[in-house]
Formats: sequence, structure tokens, C-alpha cells
Amino acid sequence: MMRNVTLVCGFACAAIVLGCATGPSPEETRAIGEHMVSEAYPGMPAELTARAHQDADQKICSRPPGDKLTSDEAQRVVAHARASLKYPANGKLAGDWKIGQRLVANGGGLRVRGGRVEKVKENGALCINCHALDPREVNSGNLGPELIGYGAKRGHTDAIVKYTYEKIYNSWLYFPCSNMPRLGANGYLTPEQIAHVVAYLVDPQSPVNRN
Amino acid sequence: METMRGCVAAAVLVLFSAPLPAQNAADGLAIGRQMLAEDNPGELWVERGKRLFFEKRGPKNASLEACDLGQGPGKVEGAFAQLPRYFADTDKVQDLESRLMTCMVTLQGFKREDIVKNRFGTLDRDSDMEALVSFVGSKSNGMKMAVPLAHPKEREAFKAGEYLFNRRSGPLDFSCATCHGDEGKRVRLQDLPNMTDAKQVQHVVATGWPAYRGTQATVRTMQHRLYDCNWQMRLPDLGYTSEMSIALTSYLNHRGNGGEIHLPGVRR
Repeated sequence: MMRNVTLVCGFACAAIVLGCATGPSPEETRAIGEHMVSEAYPGMPAELTARAHQDADQKICSRPPGDKLTSDEAQRVVAHARASLKYPANGKLAGDWKIGQRLVANGGGLRVRGGRVEKVKENGALCINCHALDPREVNSGNLGPELIGYGAKRGHTDAIVKYTYEKIYNSWLYFPCSNMPRLGANGYLTPEQIAHVVAYLVDPQSPVNRN
Repeated sequence: METMRGCVAAAVLVLFSAPLPAQNAADGLAIGRQMLAEDNPGELWVERGKRLFFEKRGPKNASLEACDLGQGPGKVEGAFAQLPRYFADTDKVQDLESRLMTCMVTLQGFKREDIVKNRFGTLDRDSDMEALVSFVGSKSNGMKMAVPLAHPKEREAFKAGEYLFNRRSGPLDFSCATCHGDEGKRVRLQDLPNMTDAKQVQHVVATGWPAYRGTQATVRTMQHRLYDCNWQMRLPDLGYTSEMSIALTSYLNHRGNGGEIHLPGVRR
């Protein structure tokens, strides 16, 4: 009995000492971090603080570098992405590339300042923040792959158009936990806006495909 | 001061708007940054901050000479190098800004909400906080970052900061790591430091914030940097000195240990 008590205490004390030296466990850390998030936006309206709440997929996709998704997690993210898909009411997945051209260079939309959502005519599609699209455009980022000649390389068959539309609508369908936002699924872009961006990427007349 | 500041702002605008060959835009910015660093406009904020620190101010007509920034009352030398850290009197881990705020409230009698209201300067109104942070930051110049993880609450803040750095949320699914987790990345033409790289973290933490920002013609602080990232991520206004902001700073600053401090920095 005495020996058991000593043994148990031995383990417990070791755990406490170890805990003190290394900090809280992952579960405790998550709880502490989430509590911090819940208090990070004082005075903000509930509909805005709701933006900081994670959905199930954001939870799965929040991981330290090198921590790979399990195949079960990846399947869940893909299934949610599949269920999120919506298409334009007119059924056209490729719209007007000229409207797309305006959208891809627009980096604004949904920003908050002073507790209010900034007023904009339309949310920008943000594309050139991260992707090179038009070979004549210098002001493009490189967080995502270069897409110059996207349609010229792939063509604009129905299959390519559908893939491109779905990739923009919910990038996690094809690349679970990709850095690319789920622009359609999150309600940031409308299906019609996405169709215009698709046209900008695939149309032979678009600057993307003219060298 | 205002005229001087206007001149500095004008000079900086000229500097940053000079036509540059497009493919060399990043190099051009680097040259501009170096020119500014050699004659850093942030020195004006350091001087003003020094005056504010020793001046008797506020409802209690007191200076900040009794303020303990972690090195003992009134000791500003080396304070920045060891922040954020745990403070027994508040029972909290505090960064430089939250600690200065504690002192301004308890010693000088300023109201917390007034400090928060004036946390970020505008072209019409200087921020005392931006000046004080510049002064205190500069008093660690030449020293190396040495942020402690001795107290359990310091380890808690560090671990929470790591968790939060990788936490995705918001309508664009972003975390800090989305933009600051890889090498050689840019948003449009803006270079993004890779905060998963030990050397870059040291550099950014020790020479990054507070920094004179040419595009804003003022010194900005680390709290402002985090607030602005939140804005880009489409999250609501980040609460000034919120525990989340301090945890993120703890995570970054501790990993910046060993970096040699040169503040204020100069940024675009």
C-alpha cells in the first residue's frame, strides 16, 4: 500500500515537474488560446467576433508546420468542401473575363475598422495578392503558384472550367487545408463573381493567355 | 516638431515614390530603407519619448521614473530585451505597451480608455505611447533579446502564442502562418518575413518594432503590427494589449532571443 502511494506520487510529481518545465499540454494550450481569442475583440459586435470562431475544417487545418493531416481528417475536409459547392443560377461556370479582370486586381472587401465593415462596391477576388496572372502585371504576389497562361496551357473544356470554378469556390476540395481561402464556401465571393474569375483564367482573349 | 515632421514625411514620400525599374522595386525599397536607417526619423520619437518619460504628467503629476519595466523602478536600459515577461504586481505576462500602460495608470493617474484611444498616432495627433515605446526600445540598442520563460505564466503565454500563430479563422481562413510561414514570399510586392525561420525571427524581433513607417509618417509599435495583420485577415479590431496579442508577442520575441537590438526600425 505504502509502496503504491509512493509510486503514484512519484509519477504524479514527475508529471507536475515535467509540466512545469515544458508548459501546458496541447489540450490546455488550446483552451487557453481559445479563451484569449474570446477576449481579444472587446466592444466588437457579435456578428464580427463570430468571424474569429473556427468551423470544424479550420480546426482541422490549424496545425504547426510539418504536422501532416491524417487521411481521415483529409477525407472529412474534402467531404465538407464537396457539400459546400454552389453554382451560378444561370448554370454558366465561366462568365465575363473583363469583369474577372477587375475582380482579380481588387484586394478589398469585408475589412473591419472601428467596429464596422468597410463599405465597398464589391468584394475583390484578391487573386493577384498571391498569384501572377497577367504577364504584364508587375504588382502580383507569390504566396500561390504562378498562373500565367492558365487557359493556354490547360484549354477551356467543360472539365477544366468546372475544376477551376470548384477550386476557387472551395480550394480545400482538391487541396485539403491549402493556404488558399475557401472564397465561395465562406460567402466572400458570389458564384457569379467566381464565374467571372474563371473566364479571366481560361478565356483565350484574357490577358492571362495572351503573350 | 510639426514642421520638422512634415518635412520628414515629405522627404520620405519623395524617397518612396521615386520611379524605379519595376523588376527592381524590392531592391529600390531596400535602398530607401537603408537611406532612412542612416538618418532615422524615428529618432524624433525617441527624443519625445524621453521627455515624456521624465516629465511630471497626468492627474497625479508624476513622471515614469518609478515605473518597473522588469529591470527595477525607472530602469529602462535592457527592458525591451526581456519583454514580454511576468509581473507579480499585475499577475500577468505583459509586453512593453501593456506595462507602460500599467505605469501610466497607476503612477500618473491617466485613464486606461484615454491611453487606448490615443494608442496609434495620426497625422493630426501624436501618440504618447508610440514615443514612449521608441524611447524605451532604443535603450536596449546593442543588447541581445533575452526573453525569459522561467515563470509558468510565461511558458503558458509562449505556448498559447504558438497555438494562435497557427490558428486559422475568419472569412479568408488565414492564420499568421499563412503569410509568415514560408521562404521568399510576398503579398503583391510586399516582402513577408518567414517567422518560422530562426534567423529571420531574430532579425524582425530585434530590429522590427517599434519602427518608423514611411507610408504612415509615424512610428508604429508591435501592437499596431498585430492590429494591422488582424485587419488584413478580416478579423475585428484587435483589442489593444489583449492577452492574445501579448501571447503572440511572447511566442515571437522569445524565439527572437539572441537577435541584436537596433530600434526604432525603419519600415515601408
